[in-house]
Amino acid sequence: MAETLPEVAMMHSDSLIVRAKQGDQNAQGKLVQLWYKRIYNFSYKFFVDHDLAMEVTQRTFISMCKNLAGLQDNARFKSWLYKIAVNYCREEARKKKGNRSLSFDVVWNREAEDSPRWESSSQRYDNPESQFQQAELSDILQQALLELSDEQREVVIMKEFEGLKFREIAEALNVSENTVKSRMYYGLDGLKKILQKKNITKDTLGYEL
Amino acid sequence: MSYKPDEQELMAYLYGELEGDAKARLDKYFLANPEVRKEYEHLESVSQLLRHVKDKEVIAPPVFVDDNKQRWISHAPYLKTIMGIAASLVFVILIARITGTQVSVSNHEFKISFGTPQTQTVATPEKSELTATHVQQMINESLEHNNDVLNANWQASHHALESSIKTNLMVNSGKMDQVVREASTASQEQIQAYVATLQAENMKLVKDYFKLTAGEQKQYIEGLLVDFAKYLQQQRNDDLQLVQVRLNNLEQNTTVFKQETEQILTNIISTVGNNQPTQIRY
Repeated sequence: MAETLPEVAMMHSDSLIVRAKQGDQNAQGKLVQLWYKRIYNFSYKFFVDHDLAMEVTQRTFISMCKNLAGLQDNARFKSWLYKIAVNYCREEARKKKGNRSLSFDVVWNREAEDSPRWESSSQRYDNPESQFQQAELSDILQQALLELSDEQREVVIMKEFEGLKFREIAEALNVSENTVKSRMYYGLDGLKKILQKKNITKDTLGYEL
Repeated sequence: MSYKPDEQELMAYLYGELEGDAKARLDKYFLANPEVRKEYEHLESVSQLLRHVKDKEVIAPPVFVDDNKQRWISHAPYLKTIMGIAASLVFVILIARITGTQVSVSNHEFKISFGTPQTQTVATPEKSELTATHVQQMINESLEHNNDVLNANWQASHHALESSIKTNLMVNSGKMDQVVREASTASQEQIQAYVATLQAENMKLVKDYFKLTAGEQKQYIEGLLVDFAKYLQQQRNDDLQLVQVRLNNLEQNTTVFKQETEQILTNIISTVGNNQPTQIRY
C-alpha cells in the first residue's frame, strides 16, 4: 500500500472508469498504469513467482479492457478487478499443480542480482543491516503465506496488503462476508502457528526492527 | 452475560469495521476476559508482522487490446491441438506416399515395407508319397550299388598291381642273369693279362714317386744342415759375447774392489794416525 495521494485519488476517480468503459483507450491505459502495481503485487504474494505474477497481471488487464463495458456499478470496479485477478490466479495455480517444472524465477534469485533497481529504490539510504533483515523477514512471511490454503491466502492478501473491505472481498470471491471473515480468522491463526514454529513473533523481532 | 464474540466479530474489530454498540460490547468483553484479549492480541501481532512485507516495484508495460474477435477462434487451444494433429497426419501420409510405405498384418506378422514389394518365387517341393519302406529300399539299393562299385575298383587295382609286380620281376631277373653270364664267360688269360698290366702300372708309379721324393729330401736335408750350422754359429757368438760381458764385469768389480780396499786402508790409516795424539794426552 505505497500509493501516492494522486494515485489514490485516481483509483477512485469515477470519470476515468466511465471514459474507459466508453472505449477511451487513453483512459484504459491510465487505469492499467494505476492498478498494475497492485494487481502484480497481489499475484506475486499469491505465487511468490515473478513470471506467474506477470502472466496473471497481464491477462487480468487484457480481460479488464475487454470486459469493462459490462461493468454495471462503477463503485464496484475494485472488487470486480480483483475478482478477475483471483480467477486467473486460481487458473494458474491449477496449471502449476499439473506442471512440476520449476519456474526460472525460483532458480534465479532476481532480487540478488538486480542492483540498478536497488540503487533506485528508496531503501538505498537505509541502514544495510536493517534493510537486509527487512528483506529476509519479508521472504519468510511470504513463504509462510504460501503454506496457507489458496482460499485463506486470497483473503489474507486482499485484506492485509490490498486493503479491501470485507464486503469488497466477499464480492470479489462471490462468497458471504462472514465466510470471508472466517477465512481471515483461520488464515491469521494458521500464520501465527507457522511463524511460532519458525520462532518469529513480534517480541523476537522487537530488538531487530 | 452469555455473550461470546465469534471469529467474524473479532476480525471486524481487528480491521476497524466493527462500530457502535457491537464495538463497545466487545471492548467490555475484553476487559472481563483478558485471556480472550490475549488471544486477540496474538492475531493482531500477526497482522502487524505482515505489514513488514513490502511491495515489489514493477513497471506497467503498455497493453494493447485487439478487438478482432476472429483471432479468438484461431487462439482456441483445442483448435490448435486439432490443427496440429491434422498437420502431422498429412505430413506422415505425404512421407508414406513418397517413400511407398506399406504396412500389413498377416499370419501373426506385422510388416512395414518401403518401395514396391519384390515377388519372390519360392520353389515348393513337389509332393510325393514316400513311405518308410520306399526310403529303406532306396537306401539299400544305393548301398548295394556303392558296394558293387567299390568291389569293382578294388579288383581292378589288385590286378593292375599284380601285373606290374610280375613285369618288374621279369625285367630285373633278366638283367641279373645277363651280368652273371658275362662274368662267367671271362677267361683265365684275360685275367692274367689284366693283373700283369696292373703290376706294371704299380711299379712305374712307385719309381716315379721315389725319384720325386729323393730330390725333395736332399734339398730339405741340405737346408736343414745349413740352418743348423747357422744356428751353431749364432750360439757361439752369443756365448762369446756373454763371456766378454762377464769378464768386463769381473774386471770392473775388481777395480771397484781395489778402490774400496784402498779407501778403507786410507781410512784406517787416517784414524790410526788421529788417535795416537789423544792417547798421549792421557
